[in-house]
Amino acid sequence: MFDIKKLTEKQVFLLDGAMGTELFRAGLPPGHCPESWNEERPEEVAGIHRSYYEAGSLAVLTNSFGGNALKLAGYGLESRTYELNFKAAQLARSVCPEGRYVGGSIGPTGKFLKPVGDLTEDQLLEAFRPQVEGLAAGGVDFLLIETQYDLRESLAALRAAREACSLPVLVTMTFNLTRRGYFTIMGVSPETFIRTMEENTVEAFGANCTLSPADMIGLIKTLRSLSSRPLIAQANAGQPQVGPDGSTFYELGPGEYADFIPELIEAGARVIGGCCGTSPEYIKKIAEKISSFFDKIN
Amino acid sequence: MKPEPNSHLQALSQAIVQGLVDEAGPLAEKALDAGLKPLQVIEQACVPAIEEVGRLWEAGDYFLPELIAGAEAMKAAMTVLQEALKSSGQSLKSAGRVVIGTVEGDIHDIGKNMVASMLRASGFEVIDLGADVKVERFVETAEREKADIIALSALLTTTMLNQKRVVELLVSRGLKDRFKVMVGGAPVTEKFAREIGADGYGESAVQAVSVARNLLSGRGGKHD
Repeated sequence: MFDIKKLTEKQVFLLDGAMGTELFRAGLPPGHCPESWNEERPEEVAGIHRSYYEAGSLAVLTNSFGGNALKLAGYGLESRTYELNFKAAQLARSVCPEGRYVGGSIGPTGKFLKPVGDLTEDQLLEAFRPQVEGLAAGGVDFLLIETQYDLRESLAALRAAREACSLPVLVTMTFNLTRRGYFTIMGVSPETFIRTMEENTVEAFGANCTLSPADMIGLIKTLRSLSSRPLIAQANAGQPQVGPDGSTFYELGPGEYADFIPELIEAGARVIGGCCGTSPEYIKKIAEKISSFFDKIN
Repeated sequence: MKPEPNSHLQALSQAIVQGLVDEAGPLAEKALDAGLKPLQVIEQACVPAIEEVGRLWEAGDYFLPELIAGAEAMKAAMTVLQEALKSSGQSLKSAGRVVIGTVEGDIHDIGKNMVASMLRASGFEVIDLGADVKVERFVETAEREKADIIALSALLTTTMLNQKRVVELLVSRGLKDRFKVMVGGAPVTEKFAREIGADGYGESAVQAVSVARNLLSGRGGKHD
């Protein structure tokens, strides 16, 4: 039984880092559907999960970020939604050590609800439902609805989750730091986010992507002032850079990223993981920081 | 100016700023009915209004829904005004012709759609190729459509290098001077844009408009 409140009472719950870049590193061709690798190259996907567990992740997120029917339709794979998610969950489960966990990743559809786009809430529900069903049947311990920017879409995913299973659900939204403070691209404020999450009894929630660790600390402080629930923080490894050889990388290395972790914990983060630009090496450094942080205070 | 036409301009301008898509068209018609010239309405109501939308976005007061609504309201007004121009035998000078898309391997199109909306609202002709667009297709479409600008979006560190490939293809086909290339997207920076030989970089959809204008200033605007 996955109880995030209990799991974060005396420790920080460590998630994994980026999946997409690890898949590309393993040879996923650009333009190829990442979720299709759950069937085509299961050993690669499982290998990435394994290296995150070895680095110290208490839970890994399944390779299903773009596994909703609307996003899969971009590859003509919408009819395979259930199977690809089922396989995603099974793969992570197959390498999950005793006492660790598997989270089902549910990312945004990339489409917009009316009036900005053409989508209806029903279409969103239909897109998320087979994804949730596949993940649940494949054996995940919890669901993470992540990288959301529109509250209505997060709520549609939440509804699909609650209707299809009884798994605990966590939610992260992606905030930008604007001149007026932290907002998602749709204008969701930390206050609105927290209020909506608490009203809907989401077990744990927070932010991921876009922000550097330094900006994430500021956001977590704001969220902490508004809620006492376990807060999730998954920052990017700073901004992307291009090296002299034309390769791309992120500005913060594993050690530099991990140096922000004590302050992030003090700010109130209880579920920590990486986002764009992070890898098992980052998670390993973060795990070390977390354990020395708790050694010091205990 | 008489107070009455002025109030028409103001009402239209406000409708655009507030993103009242259904009201902008009828208000443009009312302005014309009151005797205002189409060009005057465009220059004194529409253009300042969409600039105000951009300002509010940059200030952090407006978000994506407001930006898109403003651009849509602008489009509704411009449809009416351009029709009126046409029937009086005139036409609006295009701000320029842009071929836009998200590069190969990348299916993210939110940012690209925002830029396309803002460019259209600002008087550019936009040919939107969608997402996951092959390098060759950008170049071939730009040639066929006699575009002024090729605008490239990328959301992934792995695909931003395809922006570079477009520039390289232009160079290898001897077309680099014929089109201006502008780039954008979350991982893209001004420095990256310079390094790959792009002509312009916009951090936001609003900036993209001024970048596009600057790139074409001194070129007499258009494909003439």
